[in-house]
Amino acid sequence: MPVSIFGAAFHEQKLVKKALESFYALGPQTSARILAKYCIHPRAKIGTLPPKTVTALTAELSTMTIESDAKKILHDNIKRLRDMGTYRGRRHAMNLPVRGQRTRNQIETARKLNKVERRG
Amino acid sequence: MQPTRCLLKRSVWKGPHIVPLPIVRPEPGKRVAPIRTQARSATILPNFVGLKFQVHNGKVYHDVTITEEMVGHKLGEFSPTRKTFMWNKS
Repeated sequence: MPVSIFGAAFHEQKLVKKALESFYALGPQTSARILAKYCIHPRAKIGTLPPKTVTALTAELSTMTIESDAKKILHDNIKRLRDMGTYRGRRHAMNLPVRGQRTRNQIETARKLNKVERRG
Repeated sequence: MQPTRCLLKRSVWKGPHIVPLPIVRPEPGKRVAPIRTQARSATILPNFVGLKFQVHNGKVYHDVTITEEMVGHKLGEFSPTRKTFMWNKS
């Protein structure tokens, strides 16, 4: 039976650490810190958590700036550069490398990611 | 993202890169000519806000009006140096 944390359903066999890291803007360091705060073993599976801890985790995550909030900060930062008319903002809008990399070849990552409404 | 990211750009003890620019305070009701400069690496200071600059890009001078959010950036960031390549132009 899937367990729901912060609106997302996870399989019982998934590691709690990995489940937390699946949220945007929540990395290994923050997830380790959350596990330590709620006394969860680093290799604990989702299925072993008591329901009280699950609700506590959801409450903890709802106080953090993750997912759409974090994305909005990112987009706002890029949009501010673009609206000011800086070189960095222009490079974002043109889907090109921002930090002076060469553009003769190997710019697939920039083509994919660099946008005013950046994906990742 | 580290909270100290903006501090890592330049040593704190050096302070911002200050270039002596011929800045005149605009008297009310008088228009002042934009400040023509080639100092692209000059940091925009809070007292530049509202002034007009003409920043060199190697070929021409681009008009830049300084707004509040530009403080901390360099003048050269607002004067692009590259021309977009177009086949039909050549």
